[in-house]
Amino acid sequence: MHAEPPPPLDDTDRRLLNRIQSNFPITPRPYDDIGREMGLSEADVLARVARLRADGIIRRIGGNFSPDKLGFVSTLCAAEVPAAEVERFARAVNRYSGVTHNYLRDHHRFNVWFTVIAPSMEEIASHLAAIREETGVERILDLPATRVFKIWAKFDV
Amino acid sequence: MLNATEKSVVAAIQGDIPVTARPYAELAARSGLTEEAFLTTLRDLKARGYIRRFGATLRHQKSGYAANAMGAWRVEEDRVEAIGRHMAAQRQISHCYRRNPTPEWPYNLYTMIHADCEANCHAIARAIARETGVDDYLLLFSRRELKKTSMTYFPDDDED
Repeated sequence: MHAEPPPPLDDTDRRLLNRIQSNFPITPRPYDDIGREMGLSEADVLARVARLRADGIIRRIGGNFSPDKLGFVSTLCAAEVPAAEVERFARAVNRYSGVTHNYLRDHHRFNVWFTVIAPSMEEIASHLAAIREETGVERILDLPATRVFKIWAKFDV
Repeated sequence: MLNATEKSVVAAIQGDIPVTARPYAELAARSGLTEEAFLTTLRDLKARGYIRRFGATLRHQKSGYAANAMGAWRVEEDRVEAIGRHMAAQRQISHCYRRNPTPEWPYNLYTMIHADCEANCHAIARAIARETGVDDYLLLFSRRELKKTSMTYFPDDDED
């Protein structure tokens, strides 16, 4: 993944990005409320957010959930996949809607790392069994978290 | 568990909300709710902790954090709590979890480390190793994003 040169952000863009990563207003006119806090017009906030989204700096605006509170469980998996098989393996894994993150990482054995969310650990185990069966990749580590010390709050931009 | 209204609000805000003056009115209309009912339910879901964060998710590669590394650390179990807290307090660390080790993978503490370049990810990890005395660790850099999406909870139609 080659980083493109970041599009230039002005100070107002940075303040806006720092403001909207959490506690986005849940009010009839949220962009107007953000504008009032920051001394900007609603139209300016809307235009900046639309541009930052179009430029790919904002991936999305919405809710991030605690899977366990919604009755779901999650895990982190690491698979040992031959380099030539990565594409095929990724296609097989990514087909599951509960696979939300999947990265190729630079480890000499466990090179494909992905997260799985599902209604139960049994369902995750059956997904992994099906993936092993389909791809022939036998070594898949299943590493559910037992303790959460921190989940991303926000990036200072 | 969640009632039908709550599930429809979760389904409406797990994607990308509109960048328009009254985004919740639009989402409410699509869900067959009034704007007021939608806002009340959404606030309540947040207050009860179902929504852990509500707002913008950035592409960190494009916002000054070009490098990210997963740190996998091998920590004595009786020190995991203290060291996990120490790591979680670092601002360059976005996620920190304990996970069970396995016979072929002995690491039990995991961190996502973000910096402007890989050398600085290494520097951050070295500083943590020095501060904690935990020197058995790996930094796994992502070489390719194979998938990055949000979970779809409670889709309108039945799941495959």
